[in-house]
Amino acid sequence: MSTTHDDAPLAAQVRHLEAVLEERGWLAPGEIDERLDAFAAGGSPAHGAAIVARAWIDPDFRARLLADASAAIGELGFSMGGALQEQELIVVANDADEHHVVVCTLCSCYPIALLGPSPSWYKSEAYRSRVVRDPRGVLGELGLELPASTRITVWDASAESRYLVLPRRPEGTDDLTEAELAGLVTRKGLIGTAAV
Amino acid sequence: MPDHPDRFAPGDPVRTRITDPPGHTRLPRYARGARGVIVSTAGHHPLADERARGLPSAPRAVHHVRFAARDLFGEGDHAVVVELWEDYLEPDEERSSR
Amino acid sequence: MSRINDVGGMVGFPPIVEEPDEPAFHADWEAHVVALNAAMIRRGVYNLDEFRDAIERIPPDQYLAASYYEKWLRAITTLLAEKGVVTPAELAGA
Repeated sequence: MSTTHDDAPLAAQVRHLEAVLEERGWLAPGEIDERLDAFAAGGSPAHGAAIVARAWIDPDFRARLLADASAAIGELGFSMGGALQEQELIVVANDADEHHVVVCTLCSCYPIALLGPSPSWYKSEAYRSRVVRDPRGVLGELGLELPASTRITVWDASAESRYLVLPRRPEGTDDLTEAELAGLVTRKGLIGTAAV
Repeated sequence: MPDHPDRFAPGDPVRTRITDPPGHTRLPRYARGARGVIVSTAGHHPLADERARGLPSAPRAVHHVRFAARDLFGEGDHAVVVELWEDYLEPDEERSSR
Repeated sequence: MSRINDVGGMVGFPPIVEEPDEPAFHADWEAHVVALNAAMIRRGVYNLDEFRDAIERIPPDQYLAASYYEKWLRAITTLLAEKGVVTPAELAGA
């Protein structure tokens, strides 16, 4: 990470603000650094991939995941507990007939505690405005062409749930290990803008 | 009895409110005044509108409401599920009386 | 209220641009903004909905021109001033 020339004034403003808050006792010394370390060690798309891979190989886990995702991910050592407000994880499963895609049209809600920060395109006005109205067009733009017969459901994260898409297991992956299967899963697949 | 007993259950047809309250709200404009169906209940939470004003707010039901794209935008063959506090919803009398 | 953040269903925004191998943050200050916001919310200076509200109150032309974390920084400073945590003069570095 680096601070570019263009946003040097913003970086200076943040440093100044932290100094003022610390001086006034609104921030403890080292508090920001502790939080930065916690982020670095926190959510990651790999957590989502591990959840998907387990659901692909273990039908009982898959059933528990779809019934109560916040509890089921605890079996893999994950939790939704790091969020700033109480949140529930909802997992929606793609199948041959229906494809799910996630957005937050009002802001940028995303399971950050589980997956880390969302990609910039997810937070863009372009994605947020268009995917609810023309999901097929947006998915095509992002490289996912679905059969005309596949129904699309868009989930707008407008309240306290956070969503994760469970992609379909690709054909020809019967011989792969759980770790190899997890390696196939992308962040876009977890949002629903890629097949896997 | 809780402060806010659930007014809706899965399967109920609902209509979203038309009014646009002053300040923060979590009913997107595109889903205002629209007809949908409750698919599931997404827990009970204080109303975001009230929390944003720094007001105390008792938890009340939040629902996943499914809309046909055609009922939101006049076109499209997809569905949109929006997560809405009960405060934003009214029973769709026309459809529930059928 | 229908504010500039409420973009669902609008037309006219540009194509969606993906950044290959995008890092979690593009600059250190962005991560600091996220950490600062979390610290203020956990301390009870303001809550998450007040924070969202402050972002939504950014005038539309400025909302659309600002980067994602610029909006966050602006909302944080707005709330800190409104809550009386820091004065505008302190914010300006005076």
